[in-house]
Amino acid sequence: MFGYIRPQREELKIKDYELYRAAYCGLCRRLGKRYGLPARFFVNYDMTFLWLLLSCGQSQPQRGRCFCPANPLCRKDCVENGDVMDYVADVCVILSWYKLRDNIADEPFFKGLPYRLACAVTGGAFKKAKRRQPEFDSAAVRQLKKLALLEKEQCASIDRTADAFAGLLSCCAGFYEAPEYRRPLQQVLYHVGRFLYLTDALDDLEKDCKKNQYNPLRFRFAPQNGRLTEEDQQYLINSLENSVTLSGAAFALLPARFARSLLENILYLGMPATLKLVCTGQFHKQKKMRK
Amino acid sequence: MRDPYEVLGVSQNASDEEIKKIYRDLARKYHPDNYQDNPLADLAQEKMKEINEAYDTIMKSRSGSRSGDTGAGGYGAQGGYYGQSAYSGASSDPAFSQVRSYINAGRLDEAERMLNANISNRSAEWYFLRGEIAYRRGWIDEARQNYQIACNMAPNNMEYQRALSVVRGGSTPYRQADYGAQSDMDTACDICNTLLCLNCLCNSGGCR
Repeated sequence: MFGYIRPQREELKIKDYELYRAAYCGLCRRLGKRYGLPARFFVNYDMTFLWLLLSCGQSQPQRGRCFCPANPLCRKDCVENGDVMDYVADVCVILSWYKLRDNIADEPFFKGLPYRLACAVTGGAFKKAKRRQPEFDSAAVRQLKKLALLEKEQCASIDRTADAFAGLLSCCAGFYEAPEYRRPLQQVLYHVGRFLYLTDALDDLEKDCKKNQYNPLRFRFAPQNGRLTEEDQQYLINSLENSVTLSGAAFALLPARFARSLLENILYLGMPATLKLVCTGQFHKQKKMRK
Repeated sequence: MRDPYEVLGVSQNASDEEIKKIYRDLARKYHPDNYQDNPLADLAQEKMKEINEAYDTIMKSRSGSRSGDTGAGGYGAQGGYYGQSAYSGASSDPAFSQVRSYINAGRLDEAERMLNANISNRSAEWYFLRGEIAYRRGWIDEARQNYQIACNMAPNNMEYQRALSVVRGGSTPYRQADYGAQSDMDTACDICNTLLCLNCLCNSGGCR
């Protein structure tokens, strides 16, 4: 979706780095198998994180080698399929498709054309995913409607707007029925979702101010020339750090058999590092450099 | 009961010292302070109990087979901590104590409705309880605003002060203490980073 939830590469152990890559490739491959080539473009860091997190109740997955269309000469390490991977692939298609719709709604007709095209190409995949996960889809529709309503009335509460999105992400905890998994997962995902939504809002603040589009930070704080004052920014960072702490505390209650150190890297180092980059406006530059 | 060694995540051959260290780390991680006002406090409490029992069992069985006693039950006496209600501050207003019990039971919507019905009495406690409801929902900004108002109205109330200091990040709960924190050890890290980057170059450039 956004790509904000990722590990801090410098601090990763090699085994974790390899696991992360294998998870990313595994998700991409599963998307291709389940939904066809165009759906492979939906693969992203946030959903890789979701797979790692939801795998907490599973044993170490099998690894295989797979063909990568982006790099046809190479074989890549990837994790083999399982129930969690299927579920995450479904969720990934549903969320990405709604994100495309959102982009179309935000952009003028001609600028939105590429998104329209992408929507048309992946429409079949979306219908399939919706059929497979009707509960998640209806939850997504409900939460996104809530969010749209808040945006329309120009809600000045960052908590309430973030809540609509965070609530959507925390629905994924429904993958587990047992409360000892479901409840901590809900909390982790809620706060990761809150972090994601507000980090994205901070990242887009300047653009939204210019285009006069809704952004909760515009109404909660009073940004000057698309930037928050030093004090407000610190306040927001502090609020997001609280979310990081709370998701970490909830994560500590999960068993996380094989991906613990990788997930700890993402939660405790990767998310704060992303926030820092977004605050200094370096995030997109860094992203380009890394590719 | 699960194998106590498995609970602590140590091997059967670990020395007493190793076990003690791991036990202390775990106890710090699941300490009630890290889960104050947290909707998952009950799960953390269970975990803590499990760890305490496992540690006691191991230490008892070891001191039974050997003469050297290693003083078991370091944190064992913590059971009483949770015995008392999460709220020590008693309310003078019966409506507020009802709201508090709703919050403790996790029935946040009912607590909020009741609080809103009591709108004429906007005391410091009213704002504090609103903050509590918001915090448990994960609405950290609104929680902080309400705690702040409560603290301004009643600057000497320890309960309100503590809540505010948590959201302001004054008391840092368990986080990076254990996990390889971002360090400022520039020189050592630079070398590692360079090696790691070289490694990435080598790996991602070619086939693997």
